[in-house]
Amino acid sequence: MNELIAALFAEAVPDGARINAFIRDNDFPLVEPGHVTFVYHGQASEVILRRWISGMSTAQPLQRLEGTDLWALRMELPENSRFEYKFEVVIGDTRQLVLDELNGVLAHDPFGANSVCQGHGYERPVWTLPDEEARGGELASLNVASKVFAMQREVHIYMPARFRRNRTYPLLIVHDGLDYLRYADLKTVLDNLIHRQEIPAMIVALTQSPDRLVEYTGDPRQASFLAEELLPLLNEKFPLLNDRNARGLAGASLGGVSALHTASCYPELFGQLLLQSGSFAFSDLGHHKKGPVFDPVVRFVNEYRSNPFPLADRIYMSCGIYESLIYENRSLLPLLQAQGMQVQFEEARDAHNWENWRDRLRQGLTWLFPGPLWMVYE
Amino acid sequence: MSVQTLLGPQSPTPNLKQAMDSMELSGPVVCITAGWRDSEGEIDDLIAEAGQPVEDLMIYHRAQDVFASEPDFAALQRERQDKLLELQQLYRIRLNPTLLAARKLLRMDAQADLLRLEQRAAISQVRALDRHHVRRLASIHSDFDARRASMDIPAATAQREQVHETLENAGLVLIAGGHVAVLLNRIRLFRLGALLKRKPVIAWSAGAMVLCDRIVLFHDDAPQGKRDAEVLDAGLGIVQNLIPLPHARSRLDWSSRTRMALFSRRFAPAICATLDNGSTLQVQNSRIIAASASSVITRTGRKKGLKA
Repeated sequence: MNELIAALFAEAVPDGARINAFIRDNDFPLVEPGHVTFVYHGQASEVILRRWISGMSTAQPLQRLEGTDLWALRMELPENSRFEYKFEVVIGDTRQLVLDELNGVLAHDPFGANSVCQGHGYERPVWTLPDEEARGGELASLNVASKVFAMQREVHIYMPARFRRNRTYPLLIVHDGLDYLRYADLKTVLDNLIHRQEIPAMIVALTQSPDRLVEYTGDPRQASFLAEELLPLLNEKFPLLNDRNARGLAGASLGGVSALHTASCYPELFGQLLLQSGSFAFSDLGHHKKGPVFDPVVRFVNEYRSNPFPLADRIYMSCGIYESLIYENRSLLPLLQAQGMQVQFEEARDAHNWENWRDRLRQGLTWLFPGPLWMVYE
Repeated sequence: MSVQTLLGPQSPTPNLKQAMDSMELSGPVVCITAGWRDSEGEIDDLIAEAGQPVEDLMIYHRAQDVFASEPDFAALQRERQDKLLELQQLYRIRLNPTLLAARKLLRMDAQADLLRLEQRAAISQVRALDRHHVRRLASIHSDFDARRASMDIPAATAQREQVHETLENAGLVLIAGGHVAVLLNRIRLFRLGALLKRKPVIAWSAGAMVLCDRIVLFHDDAPQGKRDAEVLDAGLGIVQNLIPLPHARSRLDWSSRTRMALFSRRFAPAICATLDNGSTLQVQNSRIIAASASSVITRTGRKKGLKA
């Protein structure tokens, strides 16, 4: 049992006033080296921790602490871990997924918000937070008349602070770019890393798909859109370095699949890949069990596994160890390395979520696009 | 004898004005902001801080203009830069294992009389490699200078003469920080070293580094991990036996005594002096005559307040 809870019950079952004081005086969940204790306060017939962790039980019941309306669950959690969760609260016949009201730390994604458990040792990296000394870049909008998709596509463009037409810039094209902005603080990260000279001032094209479950699964239209429609337009509108090594593709989850697939279709165009928790599903024998959405992904990854070739110069891959995709990512790593590409792979004690991807951006971007920091003493 | 004032980074709190107020100006103030590269000349903040007119020598952009009009000279410059870059990579290949061995020996526990000599020998190897590197760099620069001397480059000559004239009349030269290799390159390209030696100079961060006889790059908290400190090149040599360490608070790992001790012993007898925001060192004839908010790395890897 957690020491703080043990102390609360040491003399007697605590009354309402002591419970309220306990809640007021502590931060939740209760974090200690190697363990975390979740606490729920309220009437219920059952409280279950629902975690977005793969490879472990995703539902674990909290125990009611005798004589009170406090519920608790203590579990092992390695240093620096972080994961997202909700409580499933059962009252009579009603089951409801709710945020942990005692924990103010939330993470957002396109589906809403989750409570965040930050294990012992985890700290949000300072470079993900706004720095008043860092000059902010600007966002602009660019409409692309796409023939392959037979529609207008709006792409947002990040232009660094002190952008100048007479300079030339590296380019990164990001899948789910608006989600990266909203949920992974990409603009703040870019502003900070550029300000710190850790990456060069660069142009970042933020693409967003209206149908990512199709377009990001190895769809040749998406590759063609990026390479044959968007890239020429960007070259026309912005002063970009005409160098494959100064051009990159990025994406998370299915966005990672699309980045890898696009690079495989146009290996002469993109030298740098940032692949986060890529959904690189494959099958060794028989049919995969991931559902029809993954059919084209499996076809692409199986084909690449059969006929691998160098498709970029440098690849940064990251994946959480609390997500099932760690298996696929670990499997892909030696294959990519064997093609002579420089691959940096980072495993995080985190899961399949935007804050995991946010926290890895510095490592990835500075590996792919190293800035002049070493030489700069302002 | 002119006084050189070395400052730390001017952000967040500048101390340039304070340094200027302690000097008697005998002419206009000029500045060199070539380390800012494309942003060279954007000196509104600098003028506001100085509280008086400041003229930027604009040697970064002047050089760009020269390269545009003298393609042979630009090619010669490119060739030199490529050689310098490649030589730096070759130097690193030998430097890393040499430093690794020295650090390992400094951390070891063995018979003191045996160990001490091995430690000394290992540090000597690092020092010899650094000296060798500077000699190799010097031969690249000599070759460049010799070939440049035989070139007919009127645009370069005209630009250089204009810069020299402005600098001759200056009562104070400010050298801002920024990209240290670019800054050094442009100052060399315009042959400003001898002139700067005769002028009162206030230089900060990279500006302070180029005034010294050796430029040492360092960063123990780089995004891809610690890097071994390396000699970039000889500086202008106006200040001797001083290794300025701008941003030392954030760029040096003071918790690693071995690392810091090696840093100090590697560059001895030069003083490795920190230059953080707020630091000031006044130097005359390579002697520190005043110091404020600066520390040195001791032989044992500790931080010790620097006194004149």
